[in-house]
Amino acid sequence: MAYQEDIALMAHLMRRAGFGAGRDELEARVAKGYEATVEELLHPETQPAVDVYTLLRYQPASLLPGGQPPMGNVNFMYHLVNTKRPLEEKMALFWHHVFATGNSKVDNYDQLLEQIGLFRQQGMGNYRDLLLTIARNPTMIFWLDNNQNHGTAVNENWGRELLELFSMGVGAYSEKDVREASRAFTGWTFETKIPRLPYGRFPWKFEYRPEDHDDGEKEFLGHRGRFNGEDIIDIVVEQPACARFVCRHLYNFFVADEAQVPAWSIEPPRDQKAIDTLTATFRQSRFDIRSVLRVLFNSSFFKNARFKHLKSPAEVVVGSLRLVGGYELPRPGYGDLSMQPAYMGQDLLNPPSVEGWHTGPEWINSGSLMARINFVAELVGDPSLPGVRAIIDRLKTRGSLSPEQLVDGCLDLLGPVEVSSETRRELVAQAKEWGQTGWASETSAKTADKRVGEMLQLIVATREYQFA
Amino acid sequence: MPLTTVARGRVYEWSHAVGRGAQSGTGFNYPQTMCLAKGGVAYVANRGNENNFGMRVNEVKIGGPGEEELLAEFFQWGEGDGRSTWPFGVATDGRDQVYVSDEWNNTISVFDSKGKFQRKWGKTGSGDGELMRPAGLVCEKNGNLIVVDSGNNRLQVFNGEGKFLAKCGKAGSGDGEFNQPWGVTLDQAGNIYVADWKNHRIQKLSPQGKFMMKIGEYGTVPAPAGAFAVSYMGPYMSPAGTPGYPRAGLLNHPTDVAVDTDGDIYVADWGNHRVCVFDAEGSPVANLIGDAQVMSKWGQMSIDANPDMMKARRRVRSLEPEYRFCFPTAVDFDPETDRIIVADSQRNRLQIYRKVRDYVDFQANL
Repeated sequence: MAYQEDIALMAHLMRRAGFGAGRDELEARVAKGYEATVEELLHPETQPAVDVYTLLRYQPASLLPGGQPPMGNVNFMYHLVNTKRPLEEKMALFWHHVFATGNSKVDNYDQLLEQIGLFRQQGMGNYRDLLLTIARNPTMIFWLDNNQNHGTAVNENWGRELLELFSMGVGAYSEKDVREASRAFTGWTFETKIPRLPYGRFPWKFEYRPEDHDDGEKEFLGHRGRFNGEDIIDIVVEQPACARFVCRHLYNFFVADEAQVPAWSIEPPRDQKAIDTLTATFRQSRFDIRSVLRVLFNSSFFKNARFKHLKSPAEVVVGSLRLVGGYELPRPGYGDLSMQPAYMGQDLLNPPSVEGWHTGPEWINSGSLMARINFVAELVGDPSLPGVRAIIDRLKTRGSLSPEQLVDGCLDLLGPVEVSSETRRELVAQAKEWGQTGWASETSAKTADKRVGEMLQLIVATREYQFA
Repeated sequence: MPLTTVARGRVYEWSHAVGRGAQSGTGFNYPQTMCLAKGGVAYVANRGNENNFGMRVNEVKIGGPGEEELLAEFFQWGEGDGRSTWPFGVATDGRDQVYVSDEWNNTISVFDSKGKFQRKWGKTGSGDGELMRPAGLVCEKNGNLIVVDSGNNRLQVFNGEGKFLAKCGKAGSGDGEFNQPWGVTLDQAGNIYVADWKNHRIQKLSPQGKFMMKIGEYGTVPAPAGAFAVSYMGPYMSPAGTPGYPRAGLLNHPTDVAVDTDGDIYVADWGNHRVCVFDAEGSPVANLIGDAQVMSKWGQMSIDANPDMMKARRRVRSLEPEYRFCFPTAVDFDPETDRIIVADSQRNRLQIYRKVRDYVDFQANL
């Protein structure tokens, strides 16, 4: 029983810090230990990087995909499905949600991929440095109009979102602070890029134009001086509100669903004590995200939060593809595959606004629920896929299975998935119509394979399976 | 004006560029391989993508500067005879037959020189005559076809009707072994050169498939200080005169190889964004990094039709990133004209160099 609990806890960690894991991997990780696994996840450099050359051999258009889907999504999906550094990729997804930048305006998937790349590189590093990098990121500069923020004509878009959505949240600053922050970022722009015709896309490059910078005195969050953008970031990260904001984002993404971001100024956190623990680490470590994540994943509030997070569409799609296997090479049709999260309400590289996606129960509506279930059911019902085959082969070693054993075995190997007694009763009722499941003869084996596939399909259609 | 690359005993002059990005018609869409036919004609196999489905082979007259001309298009995306999923290799036998591989469907299709479908063969598998992700192709003088059977890490030889004749190679990194090979070519004596992609080397085999020589060792060209990446995977634009850049002799996922009439070997060093020149013994001679300072004819048409693009080009501080190769996939040598043709894949164009045999130093006091 204790071992089974270890498996369940490891499965929880891998669902949250990654995109799930099959039983073989879970067993290996349990043998390695929980804390050692957390350390491995926190140090992605110990694992090999994704082989981008193989992607570009088969899908060369995914390097500089321009403004039309799906080739940019192919690139991101290939990384998500193939990474041996799941937390690195999960953090890229996290920061993509926080610093939400979209192709709807940028019209350059290649620039968005470059931004995702910097999230991979810096996502577990120092938050202050990341904020500075993103302030200099041409994709962000274009997205929030800072290239139109001039010393003599201030544009407040970047300055406002820096404070409202990227660092502190509504209520922690005044309108004057927005103005003064925006003045400090005047002159932060990019060079004109080589245009897309006739040879395809070229990148932007950050450029600071001192002649376009307002070098006058500014008053910002109680500080006074001739601030430039970097000074503003240094003041922002020292604010208690910044620590609370970043840590609440991390809690929402990795632990349990929170209210939507715009409500944070009026809705208290779900677990204030947990947020306090994380913010203390954030400040003590001088904004080191890796340190905060270490505390988070080793905390009891994380370990006790099993199935308190509604899977995002990216988690549904990537988790399923990694579970069933066979989607490692970018085969024809990968474009449509990589757009599946979009069909469920999460258009990667193209969030609906700078606020990112609304999470938790807002992922679900009648259309998106059907899309989620149909997508996963089609995969887990295919016994030719290696991950499904692995589940069948493990069940096979248990001999002839009673209806209860079939249900419990499938629930176990698919997660373990925890379901209510009512859900289990319904699954067993269905299994009872099939009777015993066994692989004794060629004919019964064929039927048994089919029944396992159908049971897995029923499980992924339950309410409980939508949670991680 | 076009640049000239001078190395010890060799001079290469940039001639012109051909092509532009286009899903159909006058342009290319991610060329994977190419082959030359008589009269300065090239067949280019385009991978396309899942946005525009620009998969196809186009027959293009290279000509001199400003003379590019589209002659035919075939093997477009679709199902059935004469259609493709993932076009890869292309070869011509000089007798009105053009062979094209499809690495998803595991087939070799045969067209006449104007792109009319003739026949095809191919069965998925690893047995004799079966194919797994067929890549580069080349025709021997006797009309037989050498297929880089990349997924099976071997070469197979077929006659023009698709009858299996011979094979060589297996998976591995030893002499005569391969790891996902890509392009293939022959020298004048019929020796076979293979771009051993994941082993980061070129292997030279005898006409009978016996190992003779290997060239190159794995290495990425480091980004020099102050470099600016044209994509997040290079190429890197460095301040002029950076010592040791680009370093010779290192290969990063080489995709193709060509041999000229002097025996010099040209390698498409794909992951390092250059073409490496080696002498016949495999010693590094020079690197070509792309010199497209003059727009191709079709490229200029795009600019002329879009004044916003022209204005944007004028605002750009430096056009140098546009000159350079970005993941060049294929290289061929045209003995009729002493020209080296490079498929500059991510830029959807060909860059053409000439091997100069009567070079005199440029006038330095202009």
